[in-house]
Amino acid sequence: MDVIFPSGNRYILSQTLDEVFDGLYGYAMVLSRDPTEAEDLVQETCVRAIQAIENLRPDGNVKSWLFTILRNIWLNQLRQQRTAPKMVELDVDESSADIAVEPSKDPHALYVSKVEREQVREAIQQLSEEFREIIVLREYGELSYQELASVLGCPAGTVMSRLGRARSKLRSLLSGSLYTPDRQAKGAAE
Amino acid sequence: MSHCEELAGDILLCLDNALTGQELEDFRAHLAVCANCWERLEEELALSSLLRKARPLYLAPQPLRARVAAAAEQISARAPLSDRSGRTRMQKLSRWPGDFTRPALSWKLLAAITLVLILTLVFIPGALQRVRAKDYVEAATAIHRTYRDGTLPLQCRSRSSEVVTDWFAGKTSFHVQLPTSKFVPKGKTVYWLTGARLVSYKGKPAALVAYETPTEKISLLVASEKSVVVAGGEEVRSGNLTFHYQSEANFEVITWTNHGLAYALVSSLAGSPQHSCLVCHQNMADQKLVEH
Repeated sequence: MDVIFPSGNRYILSQTLDEVFDGLYGYAMVLSRDPTEAEDLVQETCVRAIQAIENLRPDGNVKSWLFTILRNIWLNQLRQQRTAPKMVELDVDESSADIAVEPSKDPHALYVSKVEREQVREAIQQLSEEFREIIVLREYGELSYQELASVLGCPAGTVMSRLGRARSKLRSLLSGSLYTPDRQAKGAAE
Repeated sequence: MSHCEELAGDILLCLDNALTGQELEDFRAHLAVCANCWERLEEELALSSLLRKARPLYLAPQPLRARVAAAAEQISARAPLSDRSGRTRMQKLSRWPGDFTRPALSWKLLAAITLVLILTLVFIPGALQRVRAKDYVEAATAIHRTYRDGTLPLQCRSRSSEVVTDWFAGKTSFHVQLPTSKFVPKGKTVYWLTGARLVSYKGKPAALVAYETPTEKISLLVASEKSVVVAGGEEVRSGNLTFHYQSEANFEVITWTNHGLAYALVSSLAGSPQHSCLVCHQNMADQKLVEH
């Protein structure tokens, strides 16, 4: 029966995958801290989403649904790892992850952009898992507060306060890279 | 809890242009007298700017995209033939993000269809143009339906054309410039801007601008004219512009091109072409142009 599948859902899934693919990969990188594991997480997420598209409610939010699937897969893996004997602690190595570059920029701008991106990545990796997750979902997954509440399974108020604390911590970690008009004015006066 | 602590959440909402009405006025009034909150807002703006510059934080590897597309193709192949609707879905998905779809039809049938298509395109002048024009109209209505149903949420919510114009900056290969907001006397507002988002048309970013009337959602799809043909339907000339009016899937669609961009305005506003324009433009200086 065609009616069980709301018109436009298949279109919206392919559109949303186009839109959030880098965001999903970024979220997977932040959760797993391993490029190979992140790729597996994203692939598994997409496969499950494609298989389950028929069950999606007509008013369902595809973007937060995709992030929720990825998060659930990750949490399931963590549970399995906890029950299995731990063999090796892997170092965090992101060197094999693709560096995001914009081809239209000049070499200097590219360099500055790369340095800033590295600083941001390092600062985010220093955050607690809870803060890391909410920052990446908000800033790089571009989820709304309501979508964050849905993915993280907590009230919108909790999302706001957690995000506020996460940003505060991130601000202090990135204080050397942040230039506010006030600070610039002070620097000029000195 | 101090007043400043109470307003901490408002700073986050302000960053997202999510504060409106009295809340925004109260927040502005507080900023005018509180140096601490002003400084905090500047710090948050600086942080947001730095985080935005680092987008995307990680770029998904190309082989991963290919693997996902291949997986979609495999799922498509496994779908039972009796499930025709399901198969259509999987075929559509397996097109993402590249050309990974194998034809599900036999080569004889495909050859026959190809021959008919070629003959049609050769012997019927303008057939290819009409097919491409139809494609843009269909895409615009599909996008409008998903937006109207709430499954395609706006990425930028604002009634300010300036805010929406700024939001589009750098996001598309073309410049999106909405007309500056004009003052309309209270009670005379026929339609208003609600926001915008990016969509994909022929694999390239296109702009979706959303409007509302008291009873209706209206969307405007904007893409580069290079990838679009605008033709067909009932033609109405207004100044240097030619508008094409047509009905598609229970929606009224108006398409036109201007300054290298192709536009598709989709709504459920029925009536003659001139009447549907006047619904929104009845108070504007170009009314005479529309009426003629």
